[in-house]
Amino acid sequence: MKTVLVIGGGVTGLKASHELAQMGYNVSLVEKEDFLGGQVAKHKYYKLAPDMRLVSEVLDPVIKNVESNSNIKVLKHSTITALSGNAPEFKVKIKNSKGEAEETFGAIVVATGFEHFDPTVKQEYGYSRFKDVVTNAEVEELLNPNGPTKGELKRPSDGKIPKKVAIFQCVGSRDKQVGNPYCCRVGCVVSTKQAIEIKEKYPDTEVFVYYMDMRMFGRGWEELYGKAMEEYEVIFTRGRGAEVTLKNEQLSLRAEETIMDRPIQHSVDMIILAAGQAPGDGTIEAAKILGIKQNEYGYLAPKDDFLSPNESSKAGIFIAGADKGPLDVENCIVEGAAVAAKVASSLK
Amino acid sequence: MAENTDKMVIDGVELVGIWKEFMPSRILYEDVTTEFLDEVKKLPGGSTIARCYQCGTCTGGCTLPEFVDKFNPRGFINLVRRGHYDILVSDYKDLVWKCVSCNRCTHRCPKGVNTQEVVRAIAKFLEDRKVFGKLTNDEAFDEIFMDEVLTDGRIDEVKIVKDFYSKTGRLKDMMSGDQLSLGFKMFTSGRIKLFGGKIKDWKKVSQRLKEELQ
Ligand SMILES: Cc1cc2nc3c(=O)[nH]c(=O)nc-3n(C[C@H](O)[C@H](O)[C@H](O)COP(=O)(O)OP(=O)(O)OC[C@H]3O[C@@H](n4cnc5c(N)ncnc54)[C@H](O)[C@@H]3O)c2cc1C
Ligand code: SF4
Ligand code: SF4
Ligand code: SF4
Repeated sequence: MKTVLVIGGGVTGLKASHELAQMGYNVSLVEKEDFLGGQVAKHKYYKLAPDMRLVSEVLDPVIKNVESNSNIKVLKHSTITALSGNAPEFKVKIKNSKGEAEETFGAIVVATGFEHFDPTVKQEYGYSRFKDVVTNAEVEELLNPNGPTKGELKRPSDGKIPKKVAIFQCVGSRDKQVGNPYCCRVGCVVSTKQAIEIKEKYPDTEVFVYYMDMRMFGRGWEELYGKAMEEYEVIFTRGRGAEVTLKNEQLSLRAEETIMDRPIQHSVDMIILAAGQAPGDGTIEAAKILGIKQNEYGYLAPKDDFLSPNESSKAGIFIAGADKGPLDVENCIVEGAAVAAKVASSLK
Repeated sequence: MAENTDKMVIDGVELVGIWKEFMPSRILYEDVTTEFLDEVKKLPGGSTIARCYQCGTCTGGCTLPEFVDKFNPRGFINLVRRGHYDILVSDYKDLVWKCVSCNRCTHRCPKGVNTQEVVRAIAKFLEDRKVFGKLTNDEAFDEIFMDEVLTDGRIDEVKIVKDFYSKTGRLKDMMSGDQLSLGFKMFTSGRIKLFGGKIKDWKKVSQRLKEELQ
C-alpha cells in the first residue's frame, strides 16, 4: 500500500507530506481548519526567531510544495472519526462538510501540533480581567503588518502605543499549579524576539522581561539574547512575575528582583504573557480515535524516545512535531522529514 | 607588552601573581553546608523546602514586605539551603516569625513548595537553636497565654501583648511607632478591647483546671 494519511497541516505535517509525495507515495493531508500552516498561520506570526526571517519566506514554500504536488490530496475542514484494521491496511473514516467516507491507508502520520496555553486560569495575572494583559500569540498578530492593527502595537484598551511593556516568562509552563511542570522550550526565544521587534519599531518604549532562567539553547538563540541586551537595551530581570493589579488606572505588576533580594512593584502600560504550549484538543482527540499512547501531560508518546522517536505505541502509526511536546519551527521541519523517512522504510 | 593575560610579565615582574597579593580576598563565606537544609526538611512542614527553584513568586506576592522591610520567604529558603546560618540569625531572626500565614505564597508557588509551612519550619528551626534568648517566642507566648486563661478565663489582648513583649525583653519594640499605630487601628476597628472583663466564679474553674493539668 503506497498510500499515507497525514493528520494536521502545520509545518510538520506539510513537510512530511511533501517528502512522502517526493518518494512516490500518495498522501492525503487532513486538516481541521480551512487553512494550512498550523499555529504559525492561525496567529499570523510575522517573523521567526532567531533570524527574524519573515514567516512567509519559510511557510509559503512549504505550503506551495504541498499544494502543487499531484501526489498530495489536501482535505481542509476535515477530521478523522474512526479507525479500523491494522498496519499496513488501516481503514479510516474522514469527515467534512461533504459527508463521511472511509479510505484505506498503508500508514498514518499524526502531526496535530499544540495549542497555546490559556492564561485565564492564572487569575493573579489578570488576563481577561485587564484588557492590556495579552498573550505572546496575540502580540504576534499585533506585530504583523497584515494583522488587525497593521503591525502597530496598539494596546487593546485605548489603541495607544505602550511606553512601558513588561513580559512575563513561563506562563503556564514550569508550573505545577496548572499541571504543566515542563518547559515550553520556545517562550524565551519568542519573548526575546518580540522585545527586539518592539524596540525596533518603537525605540522609546521600554521593555522589561521577568524571567527565572533564559533558556537559550537553540541555534542562534543565545546570540539573539545578547543582542537584545546590548543593542536594544531590553531589561531582563530575574524573578518570576507574581501578580498584576490596577493602580491609579495603570497596570501594576509585582515580582521579586531575586538578584537584589528586593520585591518590586512596577507600573507599565502593557503586559505580555509568554504563554507556553499545551497539547491541543485536536491531538488528544486523534490519540483517542487512533488508540495511541499519550504521556502524562497529554502529548503523544513515542514507542521509545531514544530508539524510535517517530513511532507511536501502535505499529504503522507515526508521530511528529509539536504534538509530542513543545518544539520550534526549525525542529518541526526536521521532524517532518524524519517521520517521512521512517514511514518510507516501513512501507517498502 | 606580552599578549598573554594569564601571565603578564613587565620588566621581569609577573603581574598577575603580584596583583593577587595586592587584592584582598573577596570570599565572604566559605562554609557552604547542607546541614541546615537537612534539619529544616525534617521539621513539621519543612519537607517541601528542597523543591524550591528560587523564582521569587512567593516574595513578589507576599503580604508582608510592604510592612516588614526585608521579609523575604524566598530569601529565607535560600539562606537555609546554602547554609548561611549566621546571616539568617544576624539579619533575619526577628523577621521570619512575622509571617501572617495568609498562604498566598503556597497557593501560587509554581513548584509545589508549601512556602508558608516552610517559613514556619525555618522559624521553628531558629527557635530550637534558642536564638531568641532563654525563652523562645513560642514558649513565651504559650506560657503567657496559659497563665491568662488560668487566672482570668479570658484573653485580655492588651495585657497579653504587653506581657509577651516584657517576657521576651522587648518592651521598647512594643512602644515603636508602627506597633502603637497598629494597636490603635485594631482598637478603633473593634478588633481588640482595652480590658478583658471577668468571668463569674472563675476561681473555682481555675482551681479545677490547675488540678487537671497537674
Ligand atoms: C507565540 C509563539 C511564537 C512562536 N514563534 C516561533 C518562532 O519565532 N520561531 C520558531 O521556530 N518557533 C516558534 N514557535 C513555535 C511554533 O509555533 C511551532 O514549532 C509550530 O507551530 C509547530 O508546528 P506543528 O506542525 O507541529 O503544529 P501546529 O502548528 O500546531 O499544527 C498542527 C495542525 O494540525 C491541525 N490539527 C490538530 N488536530 C487535528 C485533528 N484532530 N484533525 C485534523 N487536523 C488537526 C491543526 O489545526 C494545525 O493546523 C512559536 C510558538 C508560540 C507559542
Ligand atoms: S522556554 Fe523560557 S518561557 Fe518557556 S517555560 Fe522554558 S524557561 Fe519558561
Ligand atoms: S514561589 Fe516556590 S519555588 Fe518560587 S521561590 Fe517561592 S518557594 Fe521557591
Ligand atoms: S503566608 Fe507568610 S510568607 Fe506566605 S505570603 Fe503570607 S505572609 Fe508571606
